[in-house]
Amino acid sequence: MFHVTKSYPGDPPVLLDINLDIEKGEFIFLTGPSGAGKSTLLKMMFLAERPTRGQVLIAGRNIARLRASGIPYLRRNIGVVFQDFKLLGNRTVAENVGFTLDVIGVPRDEVRERSLKMLRRVGLEHKADVSPLKLSGGEQQRVSLARALVNDPALLLADEPTGNLDPALTVEIMDLLCDVNARGTTVIVATHDATLIARYHKRTLRLEKGAMVADSRGEKAARLMSQEV
Amino acid sequence: MSATAKVGYFVRTALGSMVRSPFVHVIAVAALAMALFGYGVARIASTQLEALLHSLGGEVEFTVYLADDAPADQLDELEKALVTRTHGTARRVAPAEALGRLAAQLGEEGKALTELGDNPLPWSLEVRLPSEARDPEALKALAESVKRLPFVTGVDYGEEAIARLSLIARALRLAIAIAFALVFLTTVIIVSATLQLAIFARRDEIEIQKLVGGTDTFVRFPFLIEGLVQGLLGGASSLGLAWLAVRALESDPSSPVAFLRLSGHFAVDWPRLGAEMLGLAVALGLLGSFVAVRRFLRV
Repeated sequence: MFHVTKSYPGDPPVLLDINLDIEKGEFIFLTGPSGAGKSTLLKMMFLAERPTRGQVLIAGRNIARLRASGIPYLRRNIGVVFQDFKLLGNRTVAENVGFTLDVIGVPRDEVRERSLKMLRRVGLEHKADVSPLKLSGGEQQRVSLARALVNDPALLLADEPTGNLDPALTVEIMDLLCDVNARGTTVIVATHDATLIARYHKRTLRLEKGAMVADSRGEKAARLMSQEV
Repeated sequence: MSATAKVGYFVRTALGSMVRSPFVHVIAVAALAMALFGYGVARIASTQLEALLHSLGGEVEFTVYLADDAPADQLDELEKALVTRTHGTARRVAPAEALGRLAAQLGEEGKALTELGDNPLPWSLEVRLPSEARDPEALKALAESVKRLPFVTGVDYGEEAIARLSLIARALRLAIAIAFALVFLTTVIIVSATLQLAIFARRDEIEIQKLVGGTDTFVRFPFLIEGLVQGLLGGASSLGLAWLAVRALESDPSSPVAFLRLSGHFAVDWPRLGAEMLGLAVALGLLGSFVAVRRFLRV
């Protein structure tokens, strides 16, 4: 990202002159207090928002200027995990996961097969045919993760993926994210959970009032965060 | 995915969603059916009224009074000229026949006429004009031109009655047009509002489809199929309702709209009305879905 600013008329900027370089295969925590601009920054990456100024380059292409008709094709390479899961209660768990494959035209049988395989990976194969509404918060988050990953995206964005979970489930989800990263997917996790950052020694970007105030790696990030905890 | 598989997916998705949330679809179909029923009734009523207006007063009678001294061959020519000019039929009425008719019309009082020594009535030509010639202006012009012909002493065509009847017909036609426009406008508003509500209930689904990389066409297609099915069901139901309503009215002689019936039944062109109502319902269903989905595609 080069000099990315996002503002709405009449309000102070949500993001202010953000410069950021993320390597392929990295695992990144994006942290900061509520309202710092974490979610907006993630939204820029899958074009749910466009920057007011600046460039967002993905694989050398400035997506800030991508035409509306090109957005679906960008999103097919990006998995997104939402804090509120965004699962459809009137579909089964497997159908929710298969949604990602349906839109890219994968044949019906293959959709089912790949959805079940993904559910097995997140430990929910036995819940494939129930409604997500009958699952616990942690299970729903795992379904959401399975949906984001079933298409083998190059980039995984997770907005507060453990925000609603207890500590045990948080570890479970984080382990899954680390596993995905180990298989080559770039992972960006927005969180304000300092214990999480202190525990996993990953590159951490800190936003405050829309500005990038820190970019620390590994031990240093963990140390900074453990001071905050 | 092949085109057939894609269409299969869209149809499955559309029907699946109709089965999963039947309530919103039943509401949409009911709204379409009620609105189209209104349209159908307005259409039937307007056709009946038009037919009624057409039959009112039957053909126009145009009487041309002739001079007593007119030679027979001149009268023949006059008769021919009138028939050609008016596209009607003409009949020559002798004074005696006219007097007999008048006496019959006057009843008791008419008896005095038989005591008249001389018949004061002239020879006349009764021209029956086709009903489309019942335009007051055209009739007036015709009367003026006929009056100028040789051996014509006068013309009578019930000027006032004709003028009044055309005024009534014009007012009725205007009333039909206004009622029709109102029914149509209400139909469009009700149907689009209902479809918007039905689709609003599923905005999450649209949002998720867009977020996982669905194109607008991909998201929209199943909704269009739903609109099509809703249109077909709504149109068919409204047609059934209209048919039942017409049947019920036909079998009830005390009905307040019984005056609309011509010769005991409603003259309804069912195949045409059916095609019209189904076509309109499908168009409304498709258009309503298209417009309603568009609002939620901006994700």
